[in-house]
Amino acid sequence: METRLRLLFLACASVALGGCASLHWPWHHKAPPQPAAGTSTTEQTADATPPTVIEPEVERRQVKVPAIKAHNLELGAYYGEISIEDFGTSRLLGYRADYHVTEDIFFEGTYGQAKGGETSYELLNGNVQLLTEAERRFTYYDLSLGYNFLPGEVFIGKNLAMTSALYMIGGIGAVKFAGDQDFSVDFGAGYRVLPTDWLAIHLDMKDLVFRTNIFGVNQLKNNLQGFIGATVFF
Amino acid sequence: MRRSLTSAVLAFAIWLAWFAPTPGLAAAEHLQLFVTAPYLELHTGPGRGYPVRWVVGRGEAFDVLMRRTDWYKVRTERGEEGWAAGRDMALTRLADGSPFIANMGNRAGFTSHNWEAGVLAGSFGGASLITLNGAGSLTDNLKVELTLGQYLGNVSNGYIATLGLSHIIWPGWRLSPFLSMGTGINVIEPKVSLVQPVNRRDQLGYVGAGLRFYLTRRFFLRAEYRDNVVFTKSDFNEVDQEWKLGCAFFF
Repeated sequence: METRLRLLFLACASVALGGCASLHWPWHHKAPPQPAAGTSTTEQTADATPPTVIEPEVERRQVKVPAIKAHNLELGAYYGEISIEDFGTSRLLGYRADYHVTEDIFFEGTYGQAKGGETSYELLNGNVQLLTEAERRFTYYDLSLGYNFLPGEVFIGKNLAMTSALYMIGGIGAVKFAGDQDFSVDFGAGYRVLPTDWLAIHLDMKDLVFRTNIFGVNQLKNNLQGFIGATVFF
Repeated sequence: MRRSLTSAVLAFAIWLAWFAPTPGLAAAEHLQLFVTAPYLELHTGPGRGYPVRWVVGRGEAFDVLMRRTDWYKVRTERGEEGWAAGRDMALTRLADGSPFIANMGNRAGFTSHNWEAGVLAGSFGGASLITLNGAGSLTDNLKVELTLGQYLGNVSNGYIATLGLSHIIWPGWRLSPFLSMGTGINVIEPKVSLVQPVNRRDQLGYVGAGLRFYLTRRFFLRAEYRDNVVFTKSDFNEVDQEWKLGCAFFF
């Protein structure tokens, strides 16, 4: 009986002591001691096997990004009529180049040629010729700035829609006529329709103004012109 | 006139047939992009006024067919075609995940660009002047500039062509001053009523100063004054003052 009690007492004591040994309070937690620099780290790395670095065997593919073509340049020709003041109305042939900078604004360069007719004085006086054939050649160039102020669409039937724009244009240039070349100003409006993305049809009305002294008096001459043309976008 | 018209029409027809772009025939490789914004609007034309016809959803791919000014013509996987604005294209990505950069022209572009061109009008020695100028950038500050011009006066007409350097002192400023110098050729065509009967071609040198003012997108205004010394064959050189004002764009 005494032996049994002793055994029971010893068992309880050992269980209680074991529980105390495993009991930890938060303030008993301490950071593990840091190894001194240059001592234990060196030892660890010396002991550990070096890590294996896997070298990629696949070469990086060079992706070629396709370029986006910009079609801002418009080149073409036009044909129409020009009223050369005092010299009647003549057929007009010209060439144009437009560069679209933004959706609203474009630069334009034009070169036009026509032939001046006879003045009323020449018509009434029979053989009187004020200008030679070469002097009647009327050529001009303009450098202008255009503004697409009414962009829109044209609908033909129910399946065909074409983009269009009504634009205002004005600029400066020079007119060669009657053996002289003078500074000129041009202004007007035009209508552009694009049946496809690369083709445009133009209809323009412009006034070409220059000051000249063909008849011995310095006068401002207005030369109205109307023409139709086609251009291709590049 | 009739002959010139016929030849012009023929030349235009040949040129059209030879050079005109043929989108159908060109089995071109197009740039593929992916939409990262909730949607991408496709307009019927290259402008903000044209209505939206199609929409490409987030994550969907599309091909870029061409560009006109700041608008891009695109084709969706369903075959729908339309025009997307450059500012919206900035919210798309390439197949490798990198963002698509749409160069739309801005203040940074005004400071740093490769080329510029413009049209200016003014006066050259009292005659009306029209000039076309183009410049290539060596650095943001330094540009090589080519100018072609014609002046039209009461006494004489003429042409000038110059090549020179422009130094933009503070290229980052919106109103930016510059200095210029160079050389060129001056061809004078005296008018018939004057004594001098023949055309004259002389070399000239110039120094100048001017201002550039950034307007918007790719546009800027440009004003310049030049002092031209024309090296004539007579005992005295001519000095012609030139000033001009105009608009230009960079690209």
